Amino acid sequence: MSSKAGYHGVVLSVDLSTGKSQKIPIPPEDFDNFVGGQGLGIKILWDRLKRPGVDALSPENPLLFMPGPFSGLPVPSSSRTCVVTKSPITAPRKSDHSHASTVTYSNMGGFFGPEIRFAGYDGIVITGKAPALSYLVIDDAKVEIRDAGKFKGMRTDAFDRAILEELGDRKFKTVYIGPAGENLVPYSSILHTAGRAAGRGGSGCVMGSKNLKAIAVRGTGQPGVADHAGFLSALEKARKVLNGSAYAKSWAEQGTARGIVGNSKAGTESVRNYREGTFSEAEKIGGEAARRDVWVRDIACYCCPLACKKSGMTRGKYGGVVHDGPEYETGVMLGSNLLISDMAGLLKAITTIDDLGLDQISTGNVIGFLMEAYERGMISRSFLDGIDLKWGSVDATLAMIEKIAAKEGVGALAAEGVRALAWQIGKGSEKFAIHVKGLELAAHNIQANPPRGLSYATASRGACHMSGDSAAMQNRRAMLDSTGMCFFPTFEPALEEPMLSLLSAITGRTFDKAEFEKTGERIFNLEKMFNYREGFRREDDRLPDRFFEDAFTVGPKKGAVLDRDLFETTLTEYYRERGWDPKTSSPEKVKLKELGLDGLSS
Amino acid sequence: MKANDEGGYSRRQFLKGCGLGAGSLVLLGQFGIHSAAWALSGEPVLKMVLVDYSKCTGCRTCETACSASNHPVPVGGKELPGLGNPYYANIRLHNFNPDVDVANVCAMCADTPCVRACRVEPDGETGRRALYRDEATHTIRNDSARCIGCRSCAWACASQRTGTISPNPATGKPERMCTLCGGDPQCVKKCPFSALSYVEVRNNRKFYGQGPEKIAAQLARNWYGTADFGGLK
Repeated sequence: MSSKAGYHGVVLSVDLSTGKSQKIPIPPEDFDNFVGGQGLGIKILWDRLKRPGVDALSPENPLLFMPGPFSGLPVPSSSRTCVVTKSPITAPRKSDHSHASTVTYSNMGGFFGPEIRFAGYDGIVITGKAPALSYLVIDDAKVEIRDAGKFKGMRTDAFDRAILEELGDRKFKTVYIGPAGENLVPYSSILHTAGRAAGRGGSGCVMGSKNLKAIAVRGTGQPGVADHAGFLSALEKARKVLNGSAYAKSWAEQGTARGIVGNSKAGTESVRNYREGTFSEAEKIGGEAARRDVWVRDIACYCCPLACKKSGMTRGKYGGVVHDGPEYETGVMLGSNLLISDMAGLLKAITTIDDLGLDQISTGNVIGFLMEAYERGMISRSFLDGIDLKWGSVDATLAMIEKIAAKEGVGALAAEGVRALAWQIGKGSEKFAIHVKGLELAAHNIQANPPRGLSYATASRGACHMSGDSAAMQNRRAMLDSTGMCFFPTFEPALEEPMLSLLSAITGRTFDKAEFEKTGERIFNLEKMFNYREGFRREDDRLPDRFFEDAFTVGPKKGAVLDRDLFETTLTEYYRERGWDPKTSSPEKVKLKELGLDGLSS
Repeated sequence: MKANDEGGYSRRQFLKGCGLGAGSLVLLGQFGIHSAAWALSGEPVLKMVLVDYSKCTGCRTCETACSASNHPVPVGGKELPGLGNPYYANIRLHNFNPDVDVANVCAMCADTPCVRACRVEPDGETGRRALYRDEATHTIRNDSARCIGCRSCAWACASQRTGTISPNPATGKPERMCTLCGGDPQCVKKCPFSALSYVEVRNNRKFYGQGPEKIAAQLARNWYGTADFGGLK
């Protein structure tokens, strides 16, 4: 039993350069102040990187796999693993440090985070670089680095089977990169179960830079809790709220894919490289169509009563097994945003992107940008290596996806993202290069949804649709992503009370609503401290010009466009609310003191 | 199973049906009603935890419920359910790529191949080997004091039936026989998707007594048109 209830009290630290691993104790106050998941990940990142400008792809940059205090306990929907590292994608407009970038965090479901806790750790910290492509096996206390040479270049679906065959036991839970990560495409993802991903922010690229193809974990233990009886009673309450509820059933029915039609109707979808908010053919790629033509199963992550993941199959030219999708982000980024309405073609693109280990969102955004630049005659067909990259073309999209993952021809530049493409192409293309701080925007369009614009502009990892539309929401989400619980069940307001009771019973520390938000605020501020130290300022919290200039021309929100003055006013108010200097966005000393972060200042 | 065109019977429903319906449909239809007739026919009625593979989402809540119920812990002088470490669960989720999840649990076999494989001589008084069927609960139990840890029961289960019985890695003594939680299986109760039921079944039912790999292959073929799970058996 560790000194801190609800935790093992240690993370596993592995240095791939030396091949050595050790259990590192975490101070109890770090669990109190940063909880786990994203929060504890940021704290460890801060402690390890004591200076700005460390190259994200250097051996020094730690790659963290962080479950939370809920992980490994049968708390509903507590399946999440937060991957935390320094971003290989983002950059400030100006900085004194050549490799300046933000923190990044990417949160995935499945079974990996709980298994880390079964194996006896509150997290895994990877540093260094293996001399050759390797994979890491963690079997309770036993840790081994093995050669992965024979898996070089293997796509994720095949690798998912191959690694288990090699390990000889399906109980191992695995995460891995595809060819894109091996090739150091900045927006590479880390895959799990062939269809779940820590997609955003380039964690797969960092993993690739460490010559780490995969991690396999198997465990037999479990952390204890502070108040056993209290835990059991809160657990029953949480289950009662969710199990069999209409709320849970609505997630099982269509998952996030419901939003493909819903947001199109609301005018808040990313369509035609964010030019529009409504897609006239959304029904063809929406949840209802998928339920009718594609999906055969509803799939849940660890102990989740929602089952929002879907698998199925398609037939014909693009036919095959579909591990997941369409869901909202993948369906919109590769569908509406590219004007692709062929369901089988869309799913082929989604499946290929996962198979290569790319981030679905950045990939869809990059291809949308190229389609627009091509349509406008800013780039020629030869620039695209002969690919006729027209709106709606599945074959051209598939060809471009392969080029990006291989960094071949035009793919080498496209792999660097829309910011780099716009610099290279020029001709005013920057206006429709849809990124913040270098990270591409996601499937929520903002001309008709200004609060989401604030989320994109101020999120700690660059354009993040999940960060939260206000300071208070950002604080709650940062905290939630530190617990191991998924965001999706928390739309159900009745879950809040049992969720707080569970957290209190596990950790022995009373979490009411205020303490929950306060802890989230501390986490968010530490992320900001990190980013500020790297050189990110107010002028980096900006949105692409398109949103202020190109009003929607179709749909229910026709005419919608963001107002630049209003955005700047909102931003100033946001900084004031945060206790940050409105001129520079620097967190004020008094705020850091209030949050107990003043001692960390550097 | 009959496709009903009028009802707008979709392709997906059809796929689901041919993979899984067999279980619940045949069972609840024929079994519930005809169990009395069965009993008269002299065929034993098996009451077990039955999985509807079309409803199972692979969430593993059943594992945690099983473990919590069967591994209680003393807290303040009272015995309370444990924290549900799935490692100690008697029901186990086997997951495959392409996405198939098979919950594997004791089939309560009437002919008990596991018991028949037990090498310990029957006790003169009770007639029991180390492994035996408890006449009151109908569950398979192991007399740990007499068990020699030879793993014959686990081998019999794996080669002839579901393979649920696992020998303890250290002692070789059998584990993971379903206890039915004293007649109120907690996995059934806690399943968020109503994929489990505690019902009477007949041993000619589709999937009955089969190992997870076999079941997964049949389901995958129906759902995805492939049963290539890679080389791991």
